[in-house]
Order: sequence, then structure tokens, then C-alpha cells
Amino acid sequence: MTCDLTLRDFRSIARIVNLAHRFNCRCTRVDATADADATQAMFAFDGPALALTRLRAQIDRILAYEASPE
Amino acid sequence: MNGAQAVVEALGREGVDFIFGYPGGAIMPMYDALFQHPVRHVLCRHEAAAVFAASGYARTSGRVGVCCATSGPGATNLVTGLLDAFMDNVPVVAITGQVRTELMGTDGFQEADVCAITQGITKRNFLVTDSTKIASTLHEAFALARSGRPGPVLVDIPNDLLKAQLDAAYVTDAVRPAARPATSARVSEAAVRDAVARIRAARRPVAIIGGGVRAGAVEAYRTFVSLLGLPHASTIMALGSASPNDPAYLGMLGMHGLKAANKAVQRADLLIALGMRFDDRVTGKPDRFARTAAVIHADIDATEFNKIIHADVSLHGDLRDTLEALVAELVRTQVPRFDDWASEAQQLGGPLPSDRVGDHVLSATDVLDRFFAAVPDDAVITTDVGQHQMWTAQRARPAHPRNYATSAGLGSMGFGFPAAIGAQFARPDAPVFAIVGDGGFQMCLPELATLRRYNVPAKILLIDNQNLGMVRQWQELFFSERYSATNLADNPDFAAIARAYGIEAFFVNDPHDADDVIARFVAYRGPALLHAACHPTENVWPMIPAGMTVDDLMEARA
Repeated sequence: MTCDLTLRDFRSIARIVNLAHRFNCRCTRVDATADADATQAMFAFDGPALALTRLRAQIDRILAYEASPE
Repeated sequence: MNGAQAVVEALGREGVDFIFGYPGGAIMPMYDALFQHPVRHVLCRHEAAAVFAASGYARTSGRVGVCCATSGPGATNLVTGLLDAFMDNVPVVAITGQVRTELMGTDGFQEADVCAITQGITKRNFLVTDSTKIASTLHEAFALARSGRPGPVLVDIPNDLLKAQLDAAYVTDAVRPAARPATSARVSEAAVRDAVARIRAARRPVAIIGGGVRAGAVEAYRTFVSLLGLPHASTIMALGSASPNDPAYLGMLGMHGLKAANKAVQRADLLIALGMRFDDRVTGKPDRFARTAAVIHADIDATEFNKIIHADVSLHGDLRDTLEALVAELVRTQVPRFDDWASEAQQLGGPLPSDRVGDHVLSATDVLDRFFAAVPDDAVITTDVGQHQMWTAQRARPAHPRNYATSAGLGSMGFGFPAAIGAQFARPDAPVFAIVGDGGFQMCLPELATLRRYNVPAKILLIDNQNLGMVRQWQELFFSERYSATNLADNPDFAAIARAYGIEAFFVNDPHDADDVIARFVAYRGPALLHAACHPTENVWPMIPAGMTVDDLMEARA
């Protein structure tokens, strides 16, 4: 599974890598470029299908919580 | 003004009336700013209690609960309460002092990287690195805590930024973002039509309401279930959602839920899951849970869909909007009624099984039955964690979900009493009762001092069975009666401890005295403890063992 993400908080990279480990997935690649406002990050993960599904759901939640209140 | 004054002024702009906390070195400038400020600080006796009090305040008011602590140990003592709020979706903002910027990363005195520690247990956290952004960061934290699926947010502020001078315009002009809705899209009309078609075609539908109802959806929920005469059950997070005396309400479901609720769900051909997340304490074994039912799942958080249970229809959106859309679609033509099925479902239950051992020994369940007969309908109940929590959940009929606060998802012992303190500050005119066990109460005994200092009239019903009862029950049932580290027969004299703190105390150990003592305790004007010394081996029934189904339900010792 690969994920191309725009992260508002670059610390979320660490959070996502930790979650992958917690769900028994392997983070095989991380590419990230940060500027003042956002971080473009590409992740690649290996792991059981159910674990990858749960990981993706948790990543979506992180993205939702990162979004600015209006 | 300085940064600390900016913090306090920003709290005032957010409408904060109380902040629960404990002072220390790094956060001292904020305590100086709080001195004689209209935002009132409540001194708890442990940071863990402060965050639980903030959570109790938030759960019973619907407003954001606020707590604060100093750096290092102060901040780390907040961790359990933050996770507790995260699991139960409670809006809490925690403010922590941090060591001076120049000391960060040097293993300075009372230094902890609290942002790293709390990254996975908060919706988000912020380390403020610019004093001019203190107010705007706090406003963002409040908005985020309230937004969508609520939860805790932590703001960590270095000591030097709290002391730094800044222009007041950075506070007065700071933007206060509005709480963001869960989703910009309204619930899908096609999904609503699909859901209603399934409801119309169902013969044995059952609704389950979860903690999502707390986000202003109680009236919409009551309208929905009463329109259909729908049998419905509640998770522990949603107790109080049902209208009083609703004949179709089946009670709490799950591991220690009522038999009617669990059996009706298992017989259902359609499950309408509303703002609930299929916790393992509800489902037991997911692949055998409600296995003959199609599932309609409504939630504010799309990540909940298909996480545990496959949803045939997903309704993504605010729960009140979703329920109102379902009702609007239902009333377009003749509304189906399920009264006969509701009556049949109710018959699947029966009286709660009990281990009561006779009329000469005080039983915890008997105490609770008598207590609930004595408390006013508008009482706010908090509980700790363990057997008393389950006995209470089986019996309590709170008037509204905000009249009930319990540590549901995390199951944090030590929650109940400080949560009651927070609840009483939030609801000063409501009768507030903490129902606690002898294990959890001893995790927060010093909060008796908080109760006394502020003369908070919250009352504590202590169910003392001289055991860590729930663990003892599992040891009896699943660990060959090897009672390892659960015996608390050497408990202290709790009434004497309460009196030492200046709290009125009542004691009962004789069933014949129970009604009289409970009546005097309930009627007492001011903070009070009722120490009920109960039989030590009473178990919680019914019980579905972990990972099992209602087919494996136990109602008594083998």
C-alpha cells in the first residue's frame, strides 16, 4: 500500500510510522518534503490486508484531526 | 501583557469558567496570571484527578473541560486522563508548562517531551514556539477539541514564553476558529433512502445508540425510535438516551448488558447502529455478533465504517442530521411500527440475576437498587470502574446522557470521584453522586481535600466489597479461583478518612438499616460519603465472557 499525503504537521510522519509498526505492518519507504505550511509525504507499507486497512483508517483520522478548524 | 496573561485571557474569550490543575515550576507564570482572575482555578490534589475532573465537567456540560499542569511529572500525570478522553471522545484542553526553550533537549529539571508522549492519545497537540501565537494556538485547540468527533488537545508552552512580553493585540485580535463540522457533506440522500427501505422491509429491527448521541442528538434519537416503536439498546456511553419509561428500551447491551438487549440484537434481522463503534465489550466475537442482521451504521467518523462489523449501509454525518433525515424520509409515506416485535424483544429478558446471599448480609446490588429508588430523577451519576460500574449501568435510568459519566473505553480506575467534582462545578444545582468501588476510590482519596476546600456538595457512594471485585470475579470464573492480588480485606476505615478531611460520613453494613441510611445520605446538604460494606464475593450477572457471544451468556456461578 502506498499513500501520498499532505500533512499539516510534519510530526505526523513519526506517528504514522509508529502506527504501521503497531499494526504489524512494515514501512518500506518514506519520502518527505517539508515547507513552512505543509509536508508532502509518500509512504509505502507492507503487511496483512486487514492491518493495512486499519492503518489506512487511522491515517485518515490523523489527516482529519490535522485539518484547520474554519 | 505577558504570555501567561495571554493564556488566561484566551481562556476567558473561550468562555472558560473553571480550570482544574496543579501548580509547579514551569507553569508558575500562568498561576500568577490566574491569581484573582475571573477564570477560576480549582486546585486538585493530583494532576490525574485534575484531568478527570475536566473530563467530568465536559461530559456533564457539553462544554470543553480545561486542565493544566506543570512540565515533566505534572504533564505525564495527565496522560491517562487524556487517553481516557480520547477513547470516549470528550472535549478536553490540557495546558502544560514546559521548561525554558534553552533547556529543551538538555534533560533539564522536570523536562519531558510531552508532545511526543501524547501524540497518539490526543486529537492533536501543540508546542508553542512563539509567544505571539499563544492565544491563536489556544483558540485552535478549543475549536479542534469541539470539532467533529470531539476529543482532547494538549498545548505545551515553555516557561520563557509564558514570561515573555507581547502586545495585547495578539490576544484581542487572535482569530477564534469555529468548531469544524465532522464532514462538509450532509449525509447522503441515497444512503438515507436505502436505510429507510431496509427499515420498511425489516421484521425484527433493533437500534443501538452509542456515545455519538451526546453531540446534541438525544431528542432526534427519541423521536426516531418512538416513531417506529423500535426496540433499542444502549452502549454504556449512551445511557440516558432513551425516554423515561420507554417500553421499547431494552437497556445496556454487551458483556454485562441486559439479557433482552443482547438477545434481541442476536435475533435481529436489521441492526441500526447509531454513533457507536462496535467495541469488543459490545460485540464479544464480531463474526458471530448479530449474524442474521443486515447493518445500517451511522457515524460522524468515516473510519468507523467496516472497522469491526461490515455495514450494508453507511450513513456518514452528524448523528442528529442523520436521524432527522431518516425521520423525514420515513414520514413521506406510511410509517412502519414494530410494537409487537418490541414487546417480544422485551420478553427475552427477565429480572437481573443476582448473587444476593440472604437478608442478613448487605448486597451491593441491593444497595444500588435502594439508592436508585431514593435519588431524584435529575441526579448526575458518575462511576468508577469495575463491578459497581456494571451494576450501576444495568440499573441507572439517567434522564439524559449528560447526567451520566463513566470511563467507558479506557476503563480508568480513579475516574469516578474526580469526575463528580468536575460535574458538580459544571452543574452546580444538580444533585451529583459518584458511585465508586474500594479499589478505585483509593486511587483518588486526596480529592476529599478538593471536595472540602470548595465545599462541593457532590456525594460519594462507596461500594466496598474488600476486593478488586471485577478482577476477583474473573479469577473465580477463569483462573481456577487463584485470587492473586485482589483481596483488600485490610481496607482502611473510609468513614474515618472522610471525617478527617472534614467530610460527613455515613456507614451501613446491615440491610435492615440501608433504606434509612441511604435516605439520610441522599438528603444531606453538602459533601458526604456513604460507606457501604458489602458482601465480598457478589458477581456481576449476566456475563458474556470476553470473545464469546450471547449464546455463551452466564447468569450464575456454574
